[in-house]
Amino acid sequence: MFIKEITKKYDGKAVVDSVSFEIPKGKVLSLIGPNGAGKSTVMGIISRLIARDAGIVDFKGQDIGKWKSRELSKKLAILTQSNHIQMKLTVSELVAFGRFPYSGGRLTKEDEKIVDQAIAYMELEEFRDRFIDELSGGQRQRAYIAMVIAQDTEYILLDEPTNNLDIYHATNMMKTVRKLCDELGKTVVLVLHEINYAAFYSDYICAFADGKIARFGTVEEVMTRENLSEIYQVDFEIQMVKGKPLAIYY
Amino acid sequence: MNNRAHGRNLRRLAVLVLLAVLAAAAYMLVGVKFSNEKLFLYAMHIRAPKLAAMVITAFAIGGASLVFQSVINNTIVTPCLLGMNSLYTLIHTAVVFFAGSGSLLAVNANASFAVDLVIMAVAATLIYSYFFKKTNHNVLYVLLIGTVLTSFFSSIQSTLVRVMDPNEYDNLLSTLVASFSNINSEIIVFSLIVLAAVIVVLRKDLALLNVLTLGKDQAINLGVDYDNCIRRLLLGVTLCIAVATAMVGPISFLGLIIANLSRQLLKTYRHGWLILGSVLFGVIVLVGGQVIVEHVYTYSIPVSVFITVGGGVYFLYLLLTRQRV
Repeated sequence: MFIKEITKKYDGKAVVDSVSFEIPKGKVLSLIGPNGAGKSTVMGIISRLIARDAGIVDFKGQDIGKWKSRELSKKLAILTQSNHIQMKLTVSELVAFGRFPYSGGRLTKEDEKIVDQAIAYMELEEFRDRFIDELSGGQRQRAYIAMVIAQDTEYILLDEPTNNLDIYHATNMMKTVRKLCDELGKTVVLVLHEINYAAFYSDYICAFADGKIARFGTVEEVMTRENLSEIYQVDFEIQMVKGKPLAIYY
Repeated sequence: MNNRAHGRNLRRLAVLVLLAVLAAAAYMLVGVKFSNEKLFLYAMHIRAPKLAAMVITAFAIGGASLVFQSVINNTIVTPCLLGMNSLYTLIHTAVVFFAGSGSLLAVNANASFAVDLVIMAVAATLIYSYFFKKTNHNVLYVLLIGTVLTSFFSSIQSTLVRVMDPNEYDNLLSTLVASFSNINSEIIVFSLIVLAAVIVVLRKDLALLNVLTLGKDQAINLGVDYDNCIRRLLLGVTLCIAVATAMVGPISFLGLIIANLSRQLLKTYRHGWLILGSVLFGVIVLVGGQVIVEHVYTYSIPVSVFITVGGGVYFLYLLLTRQRV
């Protein structure tokens, strides 16, 4: 999957300006950058939630706009933060929606097995008959991840999955992301605000500033004092912890 | 849905069906003289079309309101926001104002139904199909347009009423309240055809309702053509409301009550169940209400008054008890 010269303008001002990069298969890629740098918009464009003004999003040799939406949803999953459900929906019902691209509203035996596995994988068995709106933020996020697992796609896109979570749940979320890649072989792309999570848990980092790519590379290449100071306009120190470069800022 | 909740909902729906049948039986049979066959047949002849009209209204309003709420993703919106009530009021006022209360359009039930339906259908297509595309599929803009149009129609209507002959106004007033007395079998058959056509055309979109309630992002993620689906559903909802309104008058506020009663009773996301519950509640409220209107108040208060008063109280209750809106 690669992105070529995508551009998005709001009122004539380019929020994403001719951005090109390739998503490395089977790896975790984090998109970082200050507020308004365009990372979430890029995520929206790759996941077909936001219309682009120019450029190509090539997915398996075909532009994403040319894919049948139903077919695409078997290969590419996106989880955003705008999940406000007005309905009374239990965890297992939510996870079952992940099978919708395959079997419409009717679950087959195979689907039910996959749903059960996804629930077990996210350790949600004890909550499976609880209503989503009665869960805590961390549990709800896990339920959504279980749904994405049930969707069984090669590519998983997560827009700020650690938002609104405390340190315990956010860290567990990042460990899950790592497991999705290492154990289940998924390609994960995520938008992150917390750069140390990006540094510790991802393989590649793509840093945005002013709608353009400021740096793209492995964690070690991007996480340097000069790069980060330039992108975020604050002073940084880099310390190696467990072989990973972590940033200290103040 | 797990089996316990499934069984519970099944039992609750059975009770609703029973109540609806009881209401219908009461409506058909209370005060009828069985001893005289001619009088019995006469009563049936008068009551059967009215009952059919009430069931169709309950079906159109109940189904449409529930779908409307799911499309907007808000359970306290009422389909009154679509502006069909005030358009109906305006059309009837304009007919009496320009053609007079003795004109064919005002007197003939079929002609008046046809005019209402055509104007509402054109308005609905224009507003909820064309504007929806124009505003980049923003549901809130469309609701705003509906609200603005509602007050626009009402303003014209009240202007007409101010310069109208008081006698004509007196005649007009009785047609502006929802009532089931102007129904004949032609109108019923035609309404049924329109409703059936809407359902057949939208059957694929209706099957996607459960997924739509996950929100726009999730629906697209799961492969739904969201914008077009919403546009078609919104148009279908408006047409259903238009049919019901053209048939009996401004009654869409009923939708808010019955859709929410159904959601409260059947705690599920499955629209098949919810729509069924909403329709059954509609039948119970309308038919039961009509029994009370005809036999307790002997037609002195129209059923829509009960619906508005009861609905208003219920609406306040919904607003106050919901933690997040």
